[in-house]
Amino acid sequence: MKTETKLIHFSEGIELESGKSLNSFDLMVETYGELNEDKSNAILLCHAFSGNHHAAGSSEDYGIGWWDQLVGPNKSIDTNKYFVVCCNNLGGCAGSSGPSSVDPSSQKIFGKSFPQVSVLDWVNSQKMLMDKLNIECWHFVAGGSLGGMQALQWSISYPDKVKKAGIFAAASKSSSQNIAMNEVARESIRKDENFHNGNYYEHNVIPKNGIKTARMLGHITYLSEEHMDSRFGRKFQDEDSKVEESVSFEVENYLQYKGEQFSELFDANSYILMTKVMDGYDAGKDKTLVEALKDVKSEFLIVGFYSDWLYPPERGKEIQIAAMDNNIRSSFVVLQGDHGHDSFLFNSKTYSNLITNFIES
Amino acid sequence: MAIKLSKIINSWVPENSKVIDFGCGDGSLLKELFKNKQVLGYGVEINDTKIEKCIEKGIPVIKLDIDKGLNDFMSSNFDLSIMARSIQCLKNPDLALNRMLELSKRCVVTLPNLGYWRCRINLASGKMPITPELPSSWYETENIHLCTIKDFENLCLKENISIKDKVFINRNGNQGGLSKINPNLFAVEGVYLLEK
Repeated sequence: MKTETKLIHFSEGIELESGKSLNSFDLMVETYGELNEDKSNAILLCHAFSGNHHAAGSSEDYGIGWWDQLVGPNKSIDTNKYFVVCCNNLGGCAGSSGPSSVDPSSQKIFGKSFPQVSVLDWVNSQKMLMDKLNIECWHFVAGGSLGGMQALQWSISYPDKVKKAGIFAAASKSSSQNIAMNEVARESIRKDENFHNGNYYEHNVIPKNGIKTARMLGHITYLSEEHMDSRFGRKFQDEDSKVEESVSFEVENYLQYKGEQFSELFDANSYILMTKVMDGYDAGKDKTLVEALKDVKSEFLIVGFYSDWLYPPERGKEIQIAAMDNNIRSSFVVLQGDHGHDSFLFNSKTYSNLITNFIES
Repeated sequence: MAIKLSKIINSWVPENSKVIDFGCGDGSLLKELFKNKQVLGYGVEINDTKIEKCIEKGIPVIKLDIDKGLNDFMSSNFDLSIMARSIQCLKNPDLALNRMLELSKRCVVTLPNLGYWRCRINLASGKMPITPELPSSWYETENIHLCTIKDFENLCLKENISIKDKVFINRNGNQGGLSKINPNLFAVEGVYLLEK
């Protein structure tokens, strides 16, 4: 698979939804496959909350890509046929401009001063990337969770630039419960003594415990009760493989391990910023969702998963109903999914066939 | 069946209309109607393999258990809803019929006729009917609410549903003949255009 990873600089800057702006910014971009002559085979993948530009294949820094099960040669999204683009979103911590990068105007790390961005800002920055890559229209824009929100916003913001949109395990807005979970995560970071009001870089520390706790909570919301029961049950952890002495059950050990691993990789300010992006999104803000979708020309494939209680299938159905009211050619399919909210990341026969058939139809 | 059905109902489907097909199967009927009448058609189906086929044909589809989810789509204004050979599988065919006529101006319903003479002979010999149209045993069949042509028309009368047009199909898949003279005895299937 032809893969290119590069940092692209945007010297023209960007006006943000908040009214603030960035005078210039960088996006870390990865592409797979090749753009065809008439530039009709481009696909944009939008990552979810903690994802990054590395969607497929294996890399030294990020291991296996977040959607490698579905993206690659002869896979559901076939990189032999399509030119697939994925970027680390603005505010992230995998190379694109974000709280942990250096502010060109002060030559200091942004930290808390990095402006709050939004799904709309991400879509606008991805549009600038699209222009830079000389792509006129995406054949398909897709993502799961927060990535699905971007796919939806793309079809609203740039109706002529998206032929088909894949909106998976997503919602047109976060629920009160989603916001509540995220606030607990943010609070655990803010209350870590090493957080230093977001300026921990100056103190050469990271609020590791806070990020770890936040991620542990996150993991519970990404999995389903059924999946946790079948995977861990009430099994006790072996003495030899305990990551913490206090651990009794396997599920505790799993969360400790995942939390610990993540806390060393992810920037705390990015965590807070990304969760705020998720909370803040509302496709039908100031109007109804039906009105928001008025100008959409893209076809939709909306997929929900029964085991997902973070963005349950009902949220996808709301988008489908609004789409049908606007005569959008939209499909809505609910699949079993064994992995709760995370199901969108995993390959299954039906899921894979649906995506392939949708792209190819 | 689907291709024949598209021929029968072609004249009932306005050009460029918005259609919903409950129990759409692999989307063949909607595909035909799209070709002939440029309809914007949505299918409703519960089977994943059939859903994949709809998507492959470019037919928008919704995965839904019709028994549970008809209310969800009340806000959509359809010109025509279709329920081909499915109404007898529903828990509440009478409610479904009324819902369909709330979300669309008109609806097309097709149903197998339990009054067909072969069914009657089966019953007269003391057995549940098994015919080419109703091939499954009583314990395997999805048809939990079978009725005769007469029963169905009586239900329409009771629910104040007016029958705008109807076509009867005989055992050879054709219209006319004896099925036109006495459909309750000779038709294997009734095709109705309904309005409320």
